[in-house]
Amino acid sequence: MHPINWVIIVGYILYVMIDGIRRSKDTDSVEGYFLANKSLPGWAVGLSVMATQLSAVTMIGTTGQGATDGLRFVQFYFGLPVAMVILGVTLVPFLHGSNVYTAYEYLERRFDARTRSLTSFLFLLSRGMSAGAIIAAPAVVFSAVFGWPLTWSVAVIGVPTILYTMLGGVQAVTWADVKQMVLIVFSLVAIVGVLLFKMPVSPDEALHIAGATGRLQIFDFSFNLTETYTFWTGVLGGTFLMLSYFGTDQSQVQRYLAARSVNEARSSLLISAYWKIPLQALVLLVGVLVFVYYQFTAPPLLYNPAHEAAVEAEQGAEYAQLQQQYRATFDLREAAAREAASADDASAAMSNFLAREAEIQELRGQALTMAEEVTGEASRDVNYIIPRFVLSELPIGFSGIFVAAILAAAMSSISSELNSLSTVSVIDFYRRWFKPEASDAHYLRVSKWTTAFWGAFACFVATYAATLGSLIEVVNRFGSFFYGSILGVFLLAMAPKGKATGAFFGLIAGMGVVAAVTFGAPQISFLWHNLVGAVTVLVVGMALSLFGRDEAG
Amino acid sequence: MPHTPDDAPPPSFRITLMKVMAVQVVTLIVLWWLQARFDV
Repeated sequence: MHPINWVIIVGYILYVMIDGIRRSKDTDSVEGYFLANKSLPGWAVGLSVMATQLSAVTMIGTTGQGATDGLRFVQFYFGLPVAMVILGVTLVPFLHGSNVYTAYEYLERRFDARTRSLTSFLFLLSRGMSAGAIIAAPAVVFSAVFGWPLTWSVAVIGVPTILYTMLGGVQAVTWADVKQMVLIVFSLVAIVGVLLFKMPVSPDEALHIAGATGRLQIFDFSFNLTETYTFWTGVLGGTFLMLSYFGTDQSQVQRYLAARSVNEARSSLLISAYWKIPLQALVLLVGVLVFVYYQFTAPPLLYNPAHEAAVEAEQGAEYAQLQQQYRATFDLREAAAREAASADDASAAMSNFLAREAEIQELRGQALTMAEEVTGEASRDVNYIIPRFVLSELPIGFSGIFVAAILAAAMSSISSELNSLSTVSVIDFYRRWFKPEASDAHYLRVSKWTTAFWGAFACFVATYAATLGSLIEVVNRFGSFFYGSILGVFLLAMAPKGKATGAFFGLIAGMGVVAAVTFGAPQISFLWHNLVGAVTVLVVGMALSLFGRDEAG
Repeated sequence: MPHTPDDAPPPSFRITLMKVMAVQVVTLIVLWWLQARFDV
């Protein structure tokens, strides 16, 4: 990569760190550290909410998904605006008005300590692991692309983030998120501009080629419980997933708890309601345009450079032969694509192009099988499409901006995770169960070191992600059992007749039913699990509340 | 603890909600147009 790109990346990292540390001056109390003394404007909180949700996986994996699968993933977000509106009139005023540090603290006030402790423990368990996974995803790609040891990549992403989050608290996290979000959107718009500029066909012709391969097929109205990306799964299942995530996950709740008023907190969520679907469409469109661009410029047969090198070393002769075939077929496909883009009789030319495209996919499939045999690991080649494009095809400066944007996306998600993990550890466990009467200065000190601990833990998990892969998967799967169920507990909290025993045992019943659905009918899309969990908790919880003997709540 | 929102949405917020839904409808129409225009 050109030195100017490195200057941009290093400059970005230094700026984020220095700005974050500068904000530590405003953080001299626990409320300042975790809630910014409820002083943040809604627009800043709103951008922070968006930046937290948009991780490096979005920049690398989702753009790659756009290249291979097209725009249909955008249906996943169709429930988000509805969820934001519902949260704006229900949970947000409850939580913001309750003057709590964590969403789970509210559950003790409404129900009892065991419900609070169980929900906060489940949060720590899943988010602790996912913080590691969020670092691991871009770190593995950076290591393969730049040839660094994995520990370096983890350190480049993790250390600056831990520093500014530990010293600056939620102030540093939020204001860094704002800048990171601006950088991310700028880089996406810039890459679309460069792609359209460098494309040898007009935007109209490019979109026709994308459309011919099904990559502009967005809406699927079939009602199929096993399919994740349909209109109905997005609208119904997606609404419950987004309600759970934005309404009960502390990494998001903490963003709007720091808003200066209930109205600002509501407005912050509406920024996502306005912009999330267009932004996600933009992310996927980048992938679609990269796919079209690679119709006219030969891409590597394998995008993952580490796998490419391994296959060349182990099966050099067979791979060289495959590459020869690939180049010849690519030339034919390129000619077919140009003809299809400009032909008067588009249907015949398009059929020829699609036949060539199928041949290319067949050859790529063979290369991926070779890579998996040689390396013994899943190829995940889709995650390397955009990084390879960025490094080899973008003009000087743009590559640096996009890599900085990937770092920004990773840091903005990790910082919010660390900040919320520390809050829950200190407020829901340390102060609640171990040291209830200490001074504010003591809690502030403990909070900073707890942030550092979770940061170190996340880096450890990321470094050993390959070894811990199955464990992370188990925890993620376990996480899906209780996401919707915790939402059910909060919904029960808003019902006047909901009681503590109903909430606690309803939560356990909800998790059990989701586990049964997961293992009993594994083909049902996970997006429905949140709805199943929430409804089970409501039904069981309300039945126990109405007919049980519990008088609490 | 309160069982109903203690701070009901002000009228301006309701207008904002209407705007959100309007923007979503426009977004969906644009996506629908993109699919209908280019999907072969």
